[in-house]
Amino acid sequence: MQIIASTGVKGGVGKSTFAILLAFKMLKQKKKVILCDCDVECPNDYLILNQKLKNSKPVFQEFPVLNEKKCKKCGLCSKVCRNHAIFWVKGEYPKFIPDLCAGCGACWIFCPYGAIEKRKVVVGKSFVNEIRDNFWLITGKSEAGVSETGPIVKEVKKRAIELGKKVNADYLIIDTAPGAHCNVIQALLNSDKVYAVTEPTPLGAYDLGVILELTKKLNLPTEIVLNKANLGNRKEIEEIARKFNSKISVEIPYSEELIRAYCTGNLEKMVKLI
Amino acid sequence: MKIVIASGKGGVGKSMLTSALALLFSKEKKIVACDCDVDAPNLGLWLGITEYDIIEKISTSEKAFIDKKKCVGCEKCKEVCPTGAIEIKENGEVKINHLLCEGCGVCQLVCPKGAIKIKAVKNGEIRINTTKYNFPLISGKLYPGESGSGKIVEELKRKAEEFKYEIAIFDSPAGIGCPVIASVRGSDFAILITEPTPSGFSDLNRILEIVNHFQIPYGIVINKWDINPMLSRKIEKWSKEKFLGKISYDKKVIDCIVNLKPITKSDSKVVNEINRIFDNFRDVLEKEIK
Repeated sequence: MQIIASTGVKGGVGKSTFAILLAFKMLKQKKKVILCDCDVECPNDYLILNQKLKNSKPVFQEFPVLNEKKCKKCGLCSKVCRNHAIFWVKGEYPKFIPDLCAGCGACWIFCPYGAIEKRKVVVGKSFVNEIRDNFWLITGKSEAGVSETGPIVKEVKKRAIELGKKVNADYLIIDTAPGAHCNVIQALLNSDKVYAVTEPTPLGAYDLGVILELTKKLNLPTEIVLNKANLGNRKEIEEIARKFNSKISVEIPYSEELIRAYCTGNLEKMVKLI
Repeated sequence: MKIVIASGKGGVGKSMLTSALALLFSKEKKIVACDCDVDAPNLGLWLGITEYDIIEKISTSEKAFIDKKKCVGCEKCKEVCPTGAIEIKENGEVKINHLLCEGCGVCQLVCPKGAIKIKAVKNGEIRINTTKYNFPLISGKLYPGESGSGKIVEELKRKAEEFKYEIAIFDSPAGIGCPVIASVRGSDFAILITEPTPSGFSDLNRILEIVNHFQIPYGIVINKWDINPMLSRKIEKWSKEKFLGKISYDKKVIDCIVNLKPITKSDSKVVNEINRIFDNFRDVLEKEIK
């Protein structure tokens, strides 16, 4: 199974549109395709594909909870916590501050009395939709207010890869969130090929530079998808492509028909664009 | 007064609207603008800035470093690492993948030989500019592959406090995760911008959950309303008294950014629409203050 990612630092440049068009193109070639929406903060592929999310499975993360019966109030837990998430005053029970806790486990590993237990918290959900023969959509969705979404992406991708192995898929297409921090890095890891989607504006050019720098660091071969290719000014995009030894391999023209197809969940008929 | 512009979905016009509101406010108030999108800092471009006057490197992230001379290869660190950042190479050498390491320090604590140290890393920078329009722009950058974006946003907002202002305007990144929460938290008012697509509307609901969680008063703006008038009307109705106005889709907006010209200096019809949103917004603010 080949893993292909559609990414881009800037939002709204067409990452999801390209990922879905690519999926349809492969389906036309009689391939088995899994599309995995790793934009767990704002997943949209299911909307663009007119789906209602199905087969929900919770994604857990573990956080500490104190067993007061076992705690001897030694305060070691607050000393090992580098996130300053444990507040302790001599002679008192330690207090956990959930907003600062990363769930790293330092406290429960080092408590000499086994007084810190792990509490499973639902931080997100993953969904599987079988859209039609040979086409599945996996969607990740974080619980609102969850700050660190990288671990959710990791779990969602795991479910996609497991399904891919089970059904013997040809392609796993990963649709990442915008940006370049941990949730995007988790989505990109282990891709065989990355498409960086951008648009021919100074914003698109700057952001393309950021994503190409990131994929270079991650050692992932990356090609460029230029959306709205006939608008704006592509000179800067071409310069950045040269600088990073990449190339523009797909061009999608600005098209009102494409916008309508995006809004109404009819992208399949636009597959000719790529 | 702290105002944040957020959307959930990317590319719906946050930075465009932020730049326009900053220019309009700056005519009558002392303001500071702050680009909280440290992955894709683009607000400067909307204000015609391509180079930065002052750059301060900062460190809001820590990583584990291994001393190969002291390591005996017991692999205890690998067993406890919560992010899977520790790999054992074929020759048995321990390698820490800094792309995954979050610097929690559990490995350092379990290492029987004291071979692991946690050190601060320079993960980003803060940049300060005085714009042509006489207000400061504070922006930041997270270096590619580093972590700690939310903490850089917090640093930016602290920097903004060093300036005397009546209005601070924050341009949030896309999403609803850590840097967005850092951008939105502590704001007095949120302007939520969306586009009339099923994705735009769904993401508006996502960001609303965050804004409501912090109990921040808000208003809603629809951008590119005419790409889907039916859904636009639905969102407008749904927004009720929170609706601040709508902006048309105009290719002249793209010409502006290509030529690094502020949107308010354009002859596009969106200028009048933004002026109306600005007036509505000021009325809402007055009511909020009362």
